[in-house]
Amino acid sequence: MHEKEKDLLDAFLRGQVDRRGLIKGLGAMGLAASTAGVLLNLGQTRALAADFDWQAHKGKTIKLLLNKHPYADAMIADLDNFKQLTGMNVTYDVFPEDVYFDKVTAALSASSPEYDAFMTGAYMTWTYGPAGWITDLNEWIKDPAKTNPKYAWDDFLPGVRNSCAWNGKPGGALGSEDAKQWCIPWGFEQNNITYNKAMFDKAGVKLPGNMDELVAAAAKLTKDVGGGVYGIGVRGSRSWATIHPGFLSAYANFDQKDLNVSADGKLSAAMATAESKAFHKQWVQMIQESGPKDWSTYTWYQVGTDLGAGASAMIFDADILGYFMNGGSNKMAGQLAFSAFKANPAAKAPTPNIWIWSLSMSNFSKDKDATWYFMQWASGLDHCLFGATKMDFVNPVRQAVWKDEMFREKLNKSYPGYVDMFDASAPGASIKFTAQPLFFDLTTEWAATLQKMVAKEVPVDEGLDKLAESINGQLKEAGLG
Amino acid sequence: MEHTSLLERVLRGIALTLVVVFFMFPIVWIFMMSFQTNEMILRIPPQLVFEPTLANYTALITGKLQTAAGTLDIAFMRNLWNSIFLSVTSVAVALLLGVPAAYAFARHKFRGSEDIAFTLLSFRFAPALLVLLPLTLYFQKLGLANTYFGLIWVYQLICLPLILWIVRGYFEDIPADIEYAYRIAGHSWFATFRKIALPLAGPGIAAAGLLAFIFAWNNFVFALVLASADKQPVTVGALAFITSSGIQYGQISAAIVLSITPTLALALYAQRYLVEGLSLGAVKG
Amino acid sequence: MHRAKPSGFRISKRVLPYLLSLPALLVCIGILIPFLTSVVYSFQRYRLSQPWARQFNWGDNYISFFTDPKFWNTLEISLLYAGITVGLELLLGLGIAMLLQKRSSLNNFISIMLLMPLMTAPALAALMWKLMTNPGFGVLSYLASLIGLQDFRWASSPSTALLTVVLVDIWVYTPFIMILLLAGLRSLPTQPFEAAALDGVPRSFVFFRITLPMLTPYILTATLFRLLDSIQQFDIIYAMTQGGPGDTLTVFQVEAYLNFFQSTNVGRSAALMIILWAITYFLSNIFIKNWLRLRERARGQA
Repeated sequence: MHEKEKDLLDAFLRGQVDRRGLIKGLGAMGLAASTAGVLLNLGQTRALAADFDWQAHKGKTIKLLLNKHPYADAMIADLDNFKQLTGMNVTYDVFPEDVYFDKVTAALSASSPEYDAFMTGAYMTWTYGPAGWITDLNEWIKDPAKTNPKYAWDDFLPGVRNSCAWNGKPGGALGSEDAKQWCIPWGFEQNNITYNKAMFDKAGVKLPGNMDELVAAAAKLTKDVGGGVYGIGVRGSRSWATIHPGFLSAYANFDQKDLNVSADGKLSAAMATAESKAFHKQWVQMIQESGPKDWSTYTWYQVGTDLGAGASAMIFDADILGYFMNGGSNKMAGQLAFSAFKANPAAKAPTPNIWIWSLSMSNFSKDKDATWYFMQWASGLDHCLFGATKMDFVNPVRQAVWKDEMFREKLNKSYPGYVDMFDASAPGASIKFTAQPLFFDLTTEWAATLQKMVAKEVPVDEGLDKLAESINGQLKEAGLG
Repeated sequence: MEHTSLLERVLRGIALTLVVVFFMFPIVWIFMMSFQTNEMILRIPPQLVFEPTLANYTALITGKLQTAAGTLDIAFMRNLWNSIFLSVTSVAVALLLGVPAAYAFARHKFRGSEDIAFTLLSFRFAPALLVLLPLTLYFQKLGLANTYFGLIWVYQLICLPLILWIVRGYFEDIPADIEYAYRIAGHSWFATFRKIALPLAGPGIAAAGLLAFIFAWNNFVFALVLASADKQPVTVGALAFITSSGIQYGQISAAIVLSITPTLALALYAQRYLVEGLSLGAVKG
Repeated sequence: MHRAKPSGFRISKRVLPYLLSLPALLVCIGILIPFLTSVVYSFQRYRLSQPWARQFNWGDNYISFFTDPKFWNTLEISLLYAGITVGLELLLGLGIAMLLQKRSSLNNFISIMLLMPLMTAPALAALMWKLMTNPGFGVLSYLASLIGLQDFRWASSPSTALLTVVLVDIWVYTPFIMILLLAGLRSLPTQPFEAAALDGVPRSFVFFRITLPMLTPYILTATLFRLLDSIQQFDIIYAMTQGGPGDTLTVFQVEAYLNFFQSTNVGRSAALMIILWAITYFLSNIFIKNWLRLRERARGQA
């Protein structure tokens, strides 16, 4: 590194120059923004090294199992900094998302010591944790000898952090006192509305403020935009993934739950209430009137593709899906906008259910201390800032990143409404499911039931009663009900 | 059969055209998509006219994918190489083991022969899931996990039964008299096998070998479960273009085209054995 | 043949066939051990997510199937799917093979080109079909709308989902049957056909009385392999519909896959697989018996 750049970096570290000034200064010296970002982190890396022995595991190698995802891409782009900081080596296997969790299950169920840490979703840890495949990370987070003083565990959004902690008891509240930290949140998705502004204007539709308005707006968009565009994209495949985005977020906003937990810890189905039936009816009607024609095959990819290519006017799905569709080579890039959504008129705030890409430590890792060095770096503020501002590491889970001016500016410039949406819904964002071992069985069946309702094979009331009965049966059989 | 009527020829022509259209249309469409960007592919309604681009192929072959977020590495060529290596080796091993066994079952009725043959076939229908996960455990203990050797071994489940049973049928169709005559002339068993039986069953062996190659090529569960990222075949590699920021249809199409090419070349090469063949009928009479 | 007197060849006649077939057997036999492990799993209450509850429940996994309507649905759909696909592919494959029977370079070229769907990995082929049947971007949906099928919903409607996956299955696997039967057809002896032509025997008679019987061993081999694969179909169905809509397409492998990889219910998954294995074992046994009988008869005639 040249002297001038070093001086500038040191000035930044002393607090004489702010972040933006630094990047601008480096830019003036002819460095590309991403290179500048890496350099910046390098500067901070040197600062980090001051009060913590980052070199304690020098020379060791750890191996990661990663999903092919922008978060992983951002981490890989910044990895040299970690290597330099710690003197450790990191190797990784990246697998396509389509088969990623199969690979994880295969590796862990065989107690393979090959991977030290891996990417996972919080829902998956409800299986991995009790199965004994992953480690409770509290032991490291709370040990000042092993965690650097700047790690700031409190900086993580509380709803997200708690959603990754579970005591392992079926029905146990997430983030309870005795909860085990099965994973560290990395990046997360809130389910809100991403919409095509031009289409809304063309059809003369205003942003919907509750479920009734959403159904009406979707219907009007389907009717008035023309060109075969339909009103609202939501997922519909026979999978848990159909339940967890928009559907559960709106459902939870009406104070509805998936399961009831009795005082003695027994679980029972909670979706056969009158409110739930009314909500299901509205949801089914919305899909029939203004959803994609082949809704029952819709996964993340189809919902996103349609929005990006201008085949749908809005989606009620992950905010970052809308974020991705507003960039890249998508036809609608730069034309999408974002809004938080509160389904229940009586509710105070939106309550999005969330998906959390997290990092877990394999219980079969041969050197957990060294692995934790990587994990605390990858979930540390510096890397999160780098990823959020230079790459697509969105949404970051650290509040400090959301306060970062550069980040907010980047979003405000190209993603209208994104920051406001985030601020409105983040306080209520958490996992709305009951943590229990039958999560995937029950949600898959729930999705299949929705499909039957939309195809008019079964009336909503009857379908929900049957679903509740079947779920209660399965809970009993598994010794949980 | 020489004097076919005009009507029949026309009808045959129409039928064949329909068949070719049905089977080739998706292939042609995929081929066309491989020269389009995602934006061109995702047009409503789909259109025939487009400005061809080589970007998909460039990205696959150079291993650099340009995205809004920067340049990403993709390991497609490595995947392609893995596929070639795994399929070729597996089929070679399966031929080496399977053809003699097929000959034994066809020519020699020995005690337990049918049982052994059936057992070998039954490996083919042991559902992969059933076998794979416990196998992962054992492979790890044996040190075979994440090795090409282990993978090739497991690939025998796909290749060996297919080769064995198809080739066996061809051996049985060779009249025993020919071999007998050759043996009488003082040639050894091995010479008879090599000089008479093998060439006569050539088309069958070629067909079985090619089909086994195709099935090995298309498999991806075995490598996915048993090996790490650097040993994954092209089928897993192509799935990498289904990303959370969208499905890259253009690149998947290009990946399909590139992954069909080696198999197609092999099939075209094997064609003379496959369908020209030598007319066994003439000898059989 | 094997009873012929040895002539200067010293490896014992009795040992030779074992020597030839054992390597193949030994290579495969290692696979038996994991198979047996799975059998043990199928007799356990075994969920990876509830390790504390793991215990032998002996036949419970199997017994619960009898009262489970979902299981019967799975069984019915799997058999239906296998029956339809194999039946149609056999007819189509035979038809195409007969169209291409005459040796000409055009026919040879077409037969190789027709193998291309088979060379496309089924999971990727299904992805492409899903795109082509998309109501907006899909070329097939577009073509369907041109001929008046405005609202054809392909894999997303319960009434046409089976049809759509069967169509994709036919597209991928008919070439497999076609190439085996084509090779069979071309290796048939020519004399019976020439004689029949000379005698002016009707073509339908030739087909049913000469071609078909002589081709039967090939048909059986091709059907057997296709059937074993079809009843275990996973890639196409999962990639197109994930078993939906509703429970329309929850065939064995899809159920077992979901049970294993998502619910991590190893016991139930293994029990499903064992039943699937038993069905295929039974079916292939029937086929092999017939195959052997036909072979014997054919040899008797020769």
